[in-house]
Amino acid sequence: MIGNHRLRRLAPLGVAAVLALALAACAQSYPNSTFTPHSDLGRSIDFLWNRLMFFGTIVFVLVEGALVYVVIRYRRRSEDVIPPQTHGHVALEITWTLIPAAILAFIAVPTVRTIFETQAPAPANSLVIEVTGHQWWWEFRYPEYKFATANEIYIPKGRTVDLVLQSGDVIHSFWVPQLAGKRDAIPNHTNHIWFTPDSNMATTVWNGFCTEYCGDSHGEMHFRVVTVNPDQFASWVSHQQAPGFFSPPPAVAAPAAPAAPAPAGATIAAATPPPAVPANPTASPAQLASYVLPRAQVPEYAIPHTPLPDAIKFDDRLQGDPAAGEKLFVGAGTCNACHSVTGNPLAVGMIGPNLTHVGSRIAIAAGMYVNDKPHLSRWIKNARIMKSGVLMPTLGKGQYDPQTKTTTSAGLSDQQVADLVAYLQALK
Amino acid sequence: MATTVIDTSIPHLQPYVPSPVPATVQTYKSTVWGWLTTTDHKKIGTLYLFTALFFFLVGGLEAEIIRAQLGAPNRHLVSAETYNQIFTMHGTTMIFLAIMPLSSAFFNFLIPLQIGARDVAFPRLNAFSYWVYLFGGLFISIPILFGHGPNAGWFGYAPLTTKAYSPGVNIDFWVLGLQILGISSLAAGFNFITTIINLRAPGMSLMRMPMFTWMAFIVQFMIVFAFPVITVALFFLLMDRFFGTQFYEVTSGGDPLLWQHLFWIFGHPEVYILVLPAFGLVSEVLPTFSKKPLFGYPVMVYSGILIGFLGFGVWAHHMFAVGMGPIADSVFGVTTMLIAIPTGVKIFNWIGTIAQGQFKPTSASLFAVGMVALFTIGGISGVMHSSPPADLQQTDSYFIVAHFHYVMFGGSIMGIFAGIYYYFPKMFGRMLGEKLGKVHFWLTFVGMNLTFFPMHFSGMLGMPRRVYTYDAGQGWELFNAMSTYGAYLLAVATLIFIYNFFKSKKSGRPAGPNPWGAGTLEWTIPSPPPPYNFAVLPTVTSRYPLWEGKQADIESARINQQSGKSAEQLGIVLPYGTIKPLLVALFMIAMFSGLIVGHWLIFVGAAAMVLALYGWLTSPLEPEHH
Repeated sequence: MIGNHRLRRLAPLGVAAVLALALAACAQSYPNSTFTPHSDLGRSIDFLWNRLMFFGTIVFVLVEGALVYVVIRYRRRSEDVIPPQTHGHVALEITWTLIPAAILAFIAVPTVRTIFETQAPAPANSLVIEVTGHQWWWEFRYPEYKFATANEIYIPKGRTVDLVLQSGDVIHSFWVPQLAGKRDAIPNHTNHIWFTPDSNMATTVWNGFCTEYCGDSHGEMHFRVVTVNPDQFASWVSHQQAPGFFSPPPAVAAPAAPAAPAPAGATIAAATPPPAVPANPTASPAQLASYVLPRAQVPEYAIPHTPLPDAIKFDDRLQGDPAAGEKLFVGAGTCNACHSVTGNPLAVGMIGPNLTHVGSRIAIAAGMYVNDKPHLSRWIKNARIMKSGVLMPTLGKGQYDPQTKTTTSAGLSDQQVADLVAYLQALK
Repeated sequence: MATTVIDTSIPHLQPYVPSPVPATVQTYKSTVWGWLTTTDHKKIGTLYLFTALFFFLVGGLEAEIIRAQLGAPNRHLVSAETYNQIFTMHGTTMIFLAIMPLSSAFFNFLIPLQIGARDVAFPRLNAFSYWVYLFGGLFISIPILFGHGPNAGWFGYAPLTTKAYSPGVNIDFWVLGLQILGISSLAAGFNFITTIINLRAPGMSLMRMPMFTWMAFIVQFMIVFAFPVITVALFFLLMDRFFGTQFYEVTSGGDPLLWQHLFWIFGHPEVYILVLPAFGLVSEVLPTFSKKPLFGYPVMVYSGILIGFLGFGVWAHHMFAVGMGPIADSVFGVTTMLIAIPTGVKIFNWIGTIAQGQFKPTSASLFAVGMVALFTIGGISGVMHSSPPADLQQTDSYFIVAHFHYVMFGGSIMGIFAGIYYYFPKMFGRMLGEKLGKVHFWLTFVGMNLTFFPMHFSGMLGMPRRVYTYDAGQGWELFNAMSTYGAYLLAVATLIFIYNFFKSKKSGRPAGPNPWGAGTLEWTIPSPPPPYNFAVLPTVTSRYPLWEGKQADIESARINQQSGKSAEQLGIVLPYGTIKPLLVALFMIAMFSGLIVGHWLIFVGAAAMVLALYGWLTSPLEPEHH
């Protein structure tokens, strides 16, 4: 019986050990692990974590060991024995007050040092990115390069990035576990967190999360951080600064789109006459070749798997016309009331995400759905069923709006939705 | 037990010797009206126990829904809106409607018995506290059944809770409900402070008080100091929501951090309000089952007081991601580390209590040891996020969920279960089944660890808190599946406990006054205690009157433990039963509801409440003394 008890008492310990081993063995399958930091701040935190874990493990083993020992060693074997009636032991009690105090000193000193190091003002040459949390998406501005984007950012390896955090509504919190700790985005406050991504790390995507509960879709307020080489970053920046346009004729479009979904847009463009609105007078081959992380290089964990809601029906075979889509964007679709597309003077809405280069993003709806035709079309048709509580109105004709609890009589036909999708997908 | 030597001159008063098993249990039947009008602290304690256990099941059901949803990625058993209401109510229910009132059940039942009093200082106020708790609990719990439950988390951060971002009635119910529950806690706090200071039996000096009463004493002061702060914070929010003030309205320049500071100045002491009673219960259980006095009693008292004080100086460690600046982060980081010292001392002293003793594994003592083991883990992870930079990776992730469940479940709930197994015989006169009790313990212990230990990993592997679902491929599947199966195991354990509880209450083995051979005052009277508790008020000469008491202790114990006489026969005056506290509570809830239902109800409720209060204050507490 007693052995049995001891075994069961030790079971969680055993589980812990097995889990720790499992973790060490396959760190690759933990894409958001805080144990594998890729920045100076991440490593400062990891140093403290290791120290905390070291002392924590010692205390755990000693205390739990002592507890298990006394429970077994002093187990009652006869009801007749009355043990010595000790009331305490002054020296012992002083000892076990002082030892924890000493351990805490070993934690407190590096803690305070790290606080002051990591909360000093960011270095002068830092890349400033203004981050604004919204219910439930992220707005990013690069004041140095004068452009805005949403939900996906690129940062150069080796250069300190200084995130200036604000909020457009309630409190949010910015967290990329592999790169740094969290910092809240609070209305009427401006917060900072800065770190330098390792210069020798991979060109890859890191997942980011909102970590302050912010209402209905708090669980779907993700973002992506792409760490790239400085030359790739420069190329990406020049592309982001360029106006948004949909694909001109296929001959030019082909090099622009190395990624998988490009052919759809290209064929549509080929099948339709040249657009009535001048597409993009400033487009140049250099911009078309601008750097975007190729879809093939996007790791599996950065591609959302959220299933399509069954409630929204859409015929995915419909072929859209990007030119018609562009007209709808500023016309019947009223997309421009909330969204901007740089280069289109009619599309300067400030409420929703900037869509200038939406076609090159991995995901839509703040990382909730993969950015492809089936998801984008249903999103346009009925975003409020796709994601709880969003401001984005229900646009599809005859669709039920779960917020107003009414069915829209007006709205976009499926063909119009397909046109908008074609246009947005062309905004590479 | 058959081999024990019983001194025939004063039977069952030999140190550590359990009292003989009686043939029958003396019960004190009561009508429904009797329960509604009771002013007896034991009956009020029993009401608290049953109500809190009910809410514990409600909170547990909410937890099971949460775990079912998170058992696999991209699962949509409930919608985001529903999930948010459920996790909000899980926290609110467990903190305000389950753990605090479970502690209150013990405060009510035990404090007068442990200090040798016939009741609390204000018996009718005590009834009022209970009814306000019951009605307030229903007030805050019922809206979720209609899809309008509170949905901003138990911490209700502004500005999410302001009208601009939460226009529905969900938050209205939350604000008013918490305000109502605060009244219950404050009334009880003042009542118990007065009771402990004034009603101790002759010789029951502060340093002879049982450790549970000591921890309860500290907790009442913490309640009295912490609840006014949340009252102010809630009042601001209430004014914002109902009368258009702008304390938290960001568009008018309001500062959301005002709420956070006020909330956590309450919220962190609240953690100790939740866990110190469990510390007290464990400090009663371990000496009895080790046949040894509590190790380092004075240090246990001082460390409790120190925890109480330091508990008010660490609130901003909930806010390290807020960007308070390096000085505030450093100060709150270090004060938080300091609080680990008195807490550690308590753990060592519990181990010291068992050491060199005669430890008997019973359901009660296993839960007590389990509490020490699991709270230690919560304490260690607590130190881990006392370091602000390290906390930036931990805060608002599942690591925090793991931490505070080791404190709240591993600490408070395990300690309370220890207390329930230990005091069930005193409350109901029958033993709580040991066999199923041990099954309950082991299933709970394994289930608890299976549920919450993997959360350390899901958190450090990047899983945020309060998400209604998560995507596949993030490396969290295994840990979440483990947590979910652990939660199912806990559900099984709890159902076994409930079955055992009601079966034992009906047909458990009769207990007798002192079934454990315990040493403190409450074990000198029959089980269940007669309405007047003590036939003669005891004279106390030591911390454990039944173990180390002198002749005076033994004399009063001898009289008290076998008294079968009624209060009238003994000439003891007891307070009248009265419905008025219930009415005052009911009308007060009506008054508060007026803010949601219609302003006319505020005035009707207030008028009725004042009338009922007038009736209360002008009617005598008890018959004239002869």
